[in-house]
Amino acid sequence: MNVSMVLTAMLPEHLLLAGIVMLLVREVTAGKPRAAVWVALAAVYAAATAALALALQGYAAAPFPGQLSVAPPALLAKAILLGLAVPVLLISRDEFPDRQFHILTLSALYGACLMVSADSFLTLFLGIELLSLPVYVLVLLAFRRPESAEAALKYLVLGGTASATLLMGASLLYGWSGTLELVAFARALGSSDPLAVAGALLVLVAFFLKAAVAPFHAWAPDAYEGASVPVTTFMAVIVKSAVLLAAVRLFGAAPLSAPMVGVVALLPLVSIVWGNLAAMRQPGLRRMIAYSSIAHAGYLFYAFLGEAGTRFEAVAFYLLAYGVMNILAFSSLPPHADDAARDRLDNLKGLFQRRPYAAVTIAIAMLSLAGLPPFPGFIAKFLIFKNVITAGYTLYAVLGLVGSYLGIYFYLRVVQYLFMSAEEATPSRASPGALAFGAGAICLAAGVVMAVLPGWVLGLL
Amino acid sequence: MSDALILNLVLFLPALGATALIWVPNQRGDVIRGLAFWTMAAQLALAAWLYAQFDPANPALQFATQLPWIPGWGVSYLIGLDGYNILLVLLTAFLGPLVVASAFTAITKDVKLFYAMVLAIQFTMVGTFVAQDLFLFYLFWEAMLIPMFLIIGIWGGERRIYATLKFVLYTAFGSILMLAALIYLVVSIHATTGISSFAFADLYRANLPVDVQVILLAAFGLSFAIKVPMVPLHTWLPDAHVEAPTAGSVILAGVLLKMGTYGFMKLGFPLFPQATQILAPAIAALAVVSIVYGACLALVQTDIKKIIAYSSISHLGYVMLGLVSFNLLGIQGAVMQMVSHGLVAGGLFLMVGMIYERCHTRDLAAYGGLAKILPFYGMFFVILALASVGLPTTSGFTGEFLALLGYFVSAWPQFVRGDAFPLVLAATAVSGVVLGALYMLWLAERLLFGAVKAPHQPFTDLNGREKAILAALVAAIFWLGIFPAEPMGKTELAARHYQQTVTATARPAVALGEAP
Repeated sequence: MNVSMVLTAMLPEHLLLAGIVMLLVREVTAGKPRAAVWVALAAVYAAATAALALALQGYAAAPFPGQLSVAPPALLAKAILLGLAVPVLLISRDEFPDRQFHILTLSALYGACLMVSADSFLTLFLGIELLSLPVYVLVLLAFRRPESAEAALKYLVLGGTASATLLMGASLLYGWSGTLELVAFARALGSSDPLAVAGALLVLVAFFLKAAVAPFHAWAPDAYEGASVPVTTFMAVIVKSAVLLAAVRLFGAAPLSAPMVGVVALLPLVSIVWGNLAAMRQPGLRRMIAYSSIAHAGYLFYAFLGEAGTRFEAVAFYLLAYGVMNILAFSSLPPHADDAARDRLDNLKGLFQRRPYAAVTIAIAMLSLAGLPPFPGFIAKFLIFKNVITAGYTLYAVLGLVGSYLGIYFYLRVVQYLFMSAEEATPSRASPGALAFGAGAICLAAGVVMAVLPGWVLGLL
Repeated sequence: MSDALILNLVLFLPALGATALIWVPNQRGDVIRGLAFWTMAAQLALAAWLYAQFDPANPALQFATQLPWIPGWGVSYLIGLDGYNILLVLLTAFLGPLVVASAFTAITKDVKLFYAMVLAIQFTMVGTFVAQDLFLFYLFWEAMLIPMFLIIGIWGGERRIYATLKFVLYTAFGSILMLAALIYLVVSIHATTGISSFAFADLYRANLPVDVQVILLAAFGLSFAIKVPMVPLHTWLPDAHVEAPTAGSVILAGVLLKMGTYGFMKLGFPLFPQATQILAPAIAALAVVSIVYGACLALVQTDIKKIIAYSSISHLGYVMLGLVSFNLLGIQGAVMQMVSHGLVAGGLFLMVGMIYERCHTRDLAAYGGLAKILPFYGMFFVILALASVGLPTTSGFTGEFLALLGYFVSAWPQFVRGDAFPLVLAATAVSGVVLGALYMLWLAERLLFGAVKAPHQPFTDLNGREKAILAALVAAIFWLGIFPAEPMGKTELAARHYQQTVTATARPAVALGEAP
């Protein structure tokens, strides 16, 4: 084992680990947790910078051959995950000043980084578990309502099911190919051997479960709603991104066989339509975002219909646009004494009258998530559907676009509440803290860059 | 300063103005209004200068700017003026200051946001017209929905939420199919020639199979036809017009509806010429149905705004009819009718707004004999009504007459060959002129003449600001009616280009991307 290679290739992970260790030591030695968020931020920011710097150098290495390797796509994936984690940490401080939150978050990010550089099902499983276990705790951490317990339990059970499904699929693939490496999955995609198809399908179902693709989505609305707002953001943005970026690695350069196209197109299509339809009826922003994220998981898996070389670019750009806008919306959500009431859409009525900046940013986030130009969500959607049509699946693209049309209504409904409704009798007048404001500013700036210079951002990917 | 830079300035001035508004305090209504008005006025001055500089003998794109934007996809920031858009850009810039000025007293709620949205929609409308790249065009086309959604939804009437959602959901449905079609178009050109480009000039030279053309034209056409709007896709329009604030109605009628006909003329028909030839009789039939049906609906309304809203459906039918005549007369008439309708319908909506501001009702039955107590109001209304009817020396005559004449000219040879359908359509369309005179003059008669009747008497005649707005419109209407040769000279080459592109039986065998 080459020590210097391990040090360099896994530098982002090491920086996260350093942050975790530092926070644990401080937990024992120091009393006040004030600096926790800064330690965590420094670790995540340094890790993101390291990943980006390595990616831009074109660094590629396999410190643990057959188990873990990095190349620019994996490093960029880490940079995206860690970069998105920075504003998520910023919006969390008001609710979670304590160290436990940050230790758990950094551990989850470590798992996310492992997932996107995994070469074998073992490393992948390790990454998924390392990502998921802290999140189960995170959902429970701000235990203010009984729903949080329900949410955590649901998420735990469904997460366990996903892990079991993944392991079952991996073992079937091992039985078929004699290897635990991820390439077995890509090879199985092109095979008609029942064992291979069953293994690949089970692995795929595990990913659909984790990414909340219909019909494996039912846990998401409850889990998203039961968690506190920063944890919901973490689940909607970081967990989903990690799963999708790992899926890109899993699919590799393999073309899809005809039956697989059916699976990869139909379930996401159902997801798009169902997510958008169900989101219309939700009373709260978190539940609405949960259904919207089900629809977005559909668009993201659509990207896998595109040619192998185009998938990473499309998924990465989409996740950036989606993540940035989700964080922007949640960062501007006014705090409320009652956590359950915080995101009720009724409480957003007339927000423009009392907090114009917050209303405008939430509106921008909603319109971008709806995929309307000139916001980055449109360019991301355009890229995915362009790839799908280039690959020859015009009918699926048209159906997906019509499905995305269904989503416009409920995003507009939020804008309608923000601008066109009379204020509630006793609105919350509290404003988000300075750090949450900063997170919103970062996301807004990133959104502007993606909308004005999409060519430059795509050139980086 | 180079001329291309001025066109960029014309495009971006409203966006800059809207951005500048962020830093003006909410309570400084006078500064907000002044900033919005002078931004629009500066845009108009620059647009007028470009119009004067525009060389009618040059078929190329003028004042063009091309910058690579998303190089990997072949998307560029490509804008410029040609005969297709020069008049429409001028019309949009001309209506801008008038729209802003018309709202000075009418809008009292969220003033800053209102002018920011008016400037934003001005930006997207000019952008839609000057864009010469399909991606850029779509971006502006779709982005336009957002400010309009807010303008109707915040400052509209009783049923504003219903009306604005209906407007957005209608138009967005058309757009989503157009998005699929435009991606398919670009991808299929890339697949056959290896050229990846969204520039109109490259797309015009695509050779697509006829069946594909028909499907793509249907998808593009659905989006454009909703915007025009053509019967039976028109039901959003009366709601949106009636509920919108006056400024919103003027923008809708003055410019937004022209997006649809411009889309057909610039993209839909020239991109898919063989499909256009096949579908032309059906399109003409829909246009005639729009003319007659819109006029009949206008005849039976009691809400003044609805009468003018339905008259728009009727008047834009002539534009569509002129476009499918495929001869120079009809095409030039269609272009003139677009501009004329923008001025006339815009002016009529402004006048409805002025009376509504005074009396707070648009119910025609509540009014009568206004000409006696409001002489200036009566005078301007009669002029606009006559222009709407198409009285010679007004712009309405030039457009309507040429469009109808053009269609007759193309229908006659077909009749001689034994196909009577186009001639029947043309004859039916003429009946729309009669119906148009009927509902418009009847409206003027009930509103202005007879026994004096009005809620909240006595009220004041037009003030100086209102007179200035209407005088500017009336001057433009007479200019287009008396000296149509000048503006038509600017658009002639584009009309010829359109005619040649659409009627060409086969595309010239030039590989894509050969031209610079």
